Amino acid sequence: MPSAFDFPGGVHPPERKQRSNQVALIDAALPSRVTLPLQQHSGQPATPCVSQGDGVKVGSVIAKREGMISSNVHASISGVVAEVSATHISIDGDGRDEWFRLPPLAWQQAEPQALLARLNESGIVGLGGAGFPTHIKARVVEQHAIHTLVINAAECEPYITADDLTLRHYSNEVLEGAQIIARLCGAAQIIIGIEDNKPDAIAALKQALSNGQPIAVELTVIPTRYPSGGEHQLIKKLLDLNVPSGGLPADVGVLCHNPGTLLAVLHAVRDGQPLVSRVVTLTGEAIAQPGNRWVRLGTSVKELLEQAGLNHPGLNPAALNQVIQGGPMMGSPLRTLDTPVTKLTNCLIAATIAELPPGPPESPCIRCGECESVCPVALLPQQLHWYARAQDDAQLERYHLSDCIECGACSYVCPSHIALVDDYRDAKHRLRQQHIETTKAEHAKHRFEFRQARIAREEAEKQARKEARQAQSRRTPSSSASASSGETDLRGLRIAHAAAKASVRKAEKNLARVAQQDPKQPLDDLETQLATAKENLNAAELQLTQAQQQSPPNPAPSKESP
Amino acid sequence: MSMMHASQVNDAKPTGANVPPTASLMRWVIIATLPGIATMSYFFGLGVLSNVVLAAAFGLAFEAAVLRLRRRPLHTTLNDSSALVTGVLLGVSLPPASPWWLIGVGMIAAIVVAKQLYGGLGQNPFNPAMVGYALLLVSFPTYMTLWAPPQGLLPSGLWAQIAGTLPTAQLDSLSGATPLDAFKHKGEAVMASEFWAMNPLPDGTLSAWRWVALAWLAGGLLLVFKRIISWHIPVAMLGSMLLLATLFYLSDPSHFASPLFHLLTGAALFGAFFIATDPVSAASSRRGKLIYGAGIGALVIIIRSVGGYPDAVAFAVLLMNLGVPLLDMYSVPRPTGQPKTPPGEQP
Repeated sequence: MPSAFDFPGGVHPPERKQRSNQVALIDAALPSRVTLPLQQHSGQPATPCVSQGDGVKVGSVIAKREGMISSNVHASISGVVAEVSATHISIDGDGRDEWFRLPPLAWQQAEPQALLARLNESGIVGLGGAGFPTHIKARVVEQHAIHTLVINAAECEPYITADDLTLRHYSNEVLEGAQIIARLCGAAQIIIGIEDNKPDAIAALKQALSNGQPIAVELTVIPTRYPSGGEHQLIKKLLDLNVPSGGLPADVGVLCHNPGTLLAVLHAVRDGQPLVSRVVTLTGEAIAQPGNRWVRLGTSVKELLEQAGLNHPGLNPAALNQVIQGGPMMGSPLRTLDTPVTKLTNCLIAATIAELPPGPPESPCIRCGECESVCPVALLPQQLHWYARAQDDAQLERYHLSDCIECGACSYVCPSHIALVDDYRDAKHRLRQQHIETTKAEHAKHRFEFRQARIAREEAEKQARKEARQAQSRRTPSSSASASSGETDLRGLRIAHAAAKASVRKAEKNLARVAQQDPKQPLDDLETQLATAKENLNAAELQLTQAQQQSPPNPAPSKESP
Repeated sequence: MSMMHASQVNDAKPTGANVPPTASLMRWVIIATLPGIATMSYFFGLGVLSNVVLAAAFGLAFEAAVLRLRRRPLHTTLNDSSALVTGVLLGVSLPPASPWWLIGVGMIAAIVVAKQLYGGLGQNPFNPAMVGYALLLVSFPTYMTLWAPPQGLLPSGLWAQIAGTLPTAQLDSLSGATPLDAFKHKGEAVMASEFWAMNPLPDGTLSAWRWVALAWLAGGLLLVFKRIISWHIPVAMLGSMLLLATLFYLSDPSHFASPLFHLLTGAALFGAFFIATDPVSAASSRRGKLIYGAGIGALVIIIRSVGGYPDAVAFAVLLMNLGVPLLDMYSVPRPTGQPKTPPGEQP
C-alpha cells in the first residue's frame, strides 16, 4: 500500500546496496579472542562481574547493568577471561563454543514481568544504532498507552543491508519477535515500514504474513528516500502522526523497533539466547567478499574485514582509504581497525578513496537555501550554521537546533561543501556541557541551602531545650515588656511558619510532577529541595511553639491590641 | 559526519537533485546570461559586450586586489566566479558603450564596498551589482540615461565613447530614450493612447526591448530548470508586478501603462531571474523568498508608476535587501513536531 503522508525534504543519495545484498547471510568465523566494551548501549556502562582467569561460556553474564538505563553484557565466546579493565572485558576463546542458555519461555503464556525480566537479563538493546535498552523501552507502557508497533525496516542509509538480509532469512522470526513486543506493550496493530528498494525482503515478508498473525500486521512499502528511516519521519509517513519536538514516539502512542532487535527478542525469549551476536554489513570497494555476516560481539573489525578480503592500505587504487562504522551519511570513520564489533555496529564500509573521496575545501555559505529544501525536519540549516559558528545560543534555540536529527541531508547537498552537521553536533555538545555545568551549580546551591536549613533547625531545637530548662528552673511568668515584644515576634513567626508549610507543599508537588512526566530524570536534586523545605518547616514550627509557650495564652493578639 | 556529498557522486538516481558546487552554480548563471547578452548586442551594438567585458575584468581585478590586502587566498576565491557574475550583471545593466571609468567606479562600489568590505562572498547584505548601479544612477545621471536606440553592431563613435573621449555635446545626439523613460516623461496632460499614437520611440525600439526581455526569460528559465535558482522569487516578483500593474492600469488606463508593458520593458524579467535571486542578499526561507520577491515587484511598480525614476529594479532590490533580516526572523518555518504557536509568539 503506498503511503499518502509525507515528511518534508529528503535526498536521494546513491544507494550502493548492491555491493552487499547479492550473497546470503553467513556466519563469520568464530573469533579466538573477543573484546567486549562495558558500554555498548545508551545510558550507564555495565559493571564487570567476572575476574581474570574465570571460565565463561557463550551467554554467561560478564557485566551487570548499572542504574536505570543500562544493559547486561554477555560472553560471546566460550573460554577464559583474559582481562577486565575499566572500559572492557577480553575473553580468550577455547574454540569449543559451549553455550549457556536460559530456559525457553513460552511467550504466549508468560507473564509480562517474566518477559521484561528476560529482555533485561538477555542484554537486548536497539540494534538499529541507538542502542537503547529494549526492556526499558517496553516499560514505556507504564506512562503511555501504545496503539501501534512500527517495525522500522526502511534502512534508508546507503550501503547498509543488514535489515534487508535479516528479513530475507528470518521474516517469520522477526514477525514473531514483533508479536512478543506488541503483546508486551498492548499494541493493537503492527506496521512494517520498508523502502521499495528491498523487493526480496518484501516478498519474504509477504510470504511470512500469509501464515496469519495474532495481532494484525500491515506491510507498508514506501518510496526510497533518505531519511525515511528516521523514527519521526517514518511515523509521519506511515501513520501521519507528528512526534512532538523533544518527545518520543510513545508520546503519540507508537513504539519503533528495528527487525534485528525483534529477532534478538525472539532468540532471547524462545531460545533463552542472550545478545551475543548480530548481523553486520561488510561492504565497500576495498573488500573482495562483501556481504552480511552473523558476527560475535567483540570480534575485531580488522579480523572481520580481513576475512572478507580486505585490500590493505597502499598505492593500489582499490586499497582501503577509510573504514566507516555505520552508513556514509550518519556514520563515523574509525580511527583504528583494532576496535571491536559492538551491539551498535550495523555496518562497516571499507571504502577506497574513489568511492568516498574526502570533501573538497569549504567555501563560504551563499545562502542558496538548498539545505532548507532537503531538511526532513523543516529547519533552516543555513541559519543554524551561522548561529552555530557565532555560538549564538539564543538564536540556536530559536531556530530549534535541538530538533535536528543529524541526518546529514544538508551537508550532502551543500554546494559550498560546508560540514553543517559537524557544526550542529559541536553546538549541541557545547550546549549540553553548559547545561550540565549550570545544573551542577544549581545542585550545589540546593545542597548548601539544605545544610543551612538543617543547621538552623538544630539551632532552634537547642534554643528550645535551653528555654525549657530555664523556664523549669525559674518558674516565673515573663514580664509585660517581653510579652509585648513576644506578640510581634509571634505574628512574624506565624507568617514564617505558613510560608514554610507552603514551600514544602510546593516542593512535594514539583517532585511528583517531574517524576510523573519524566521518570528518566534524576530526582535527587528535587528531593534535596523538598528536604530543605521540610527542615525549614521544622525550625519554624519549633520557634513558633516556643514563642507561644512564652507569651500569655492569647488566641488572636493582633486583633485585640488597641 | 557526512562522508557522502552530492557533488562527488556520479551514481545517484537521476531524479535526485544534484547540486553543483558554488563555483559551477556561478558559471551556470553566467551561461544563462548569454542569450540576453547576445540579444542585447544584436539590437544595441557591441557596446553591450564592451560593458560586460570591462565590468568583468574590473570585477576580477578589484576582487584580487582586496583579497591581497585582506591576505586571503587568491586562487580559490577568484575561482568561485562570483566577482565575474557581479561584473556581468552590472555590465548588462549599464547603457551600451558606457565609458570605462563609469564602469570602474560602479565596480569599485560593487566589489570593494558592497561585497569585500562586508566580508566577501556570502556576507554582503546588499546585492553588489545593484549597489554599483544605484551609485552610478544617482552620481552620473547624464551617462546613465544615455540609452541609444537600436542600431548596428558597430555604431560610429563606439571607441571614443568607451574611452570616454567623446565631447559631452555629442553624447546627447547619440542618446535615445528607453520605452519606460519615454512613457515616464510623456507629461501629465498626454493620455496614454495619444502618447502611443505619437509614435514616440524610434522604429523598432519597443520590439527590441521585448526581444531582450524574452531572452532574459529564456536564460532565467534555464536557471530554474537546472535548479540553480528556486522559482519562488521570480514568480513572486513577476506575480506581484502583474497584480499591481493591473490594479494601476484598471484604475486609470489613460495614465498608467499596461501590465504587459511593465513586464516586457526595462529590467523586469532580467531583475526577476538574475538580480532578485542573488541568494546571499535574499531572504532564506521559502516563505521569506515569496514575501521578498513580492515586495520587490510591488516596489518596482510603485516607483515606476508614481515615483521619480522610470525603472526601479535596483532600488526595489536594495530596499528589500534592507528588509531581509526582518523577513528571515519572521519567516522561520515550523519544524515538524513543534507545536503551532500564535503568530505573535513565533520567533
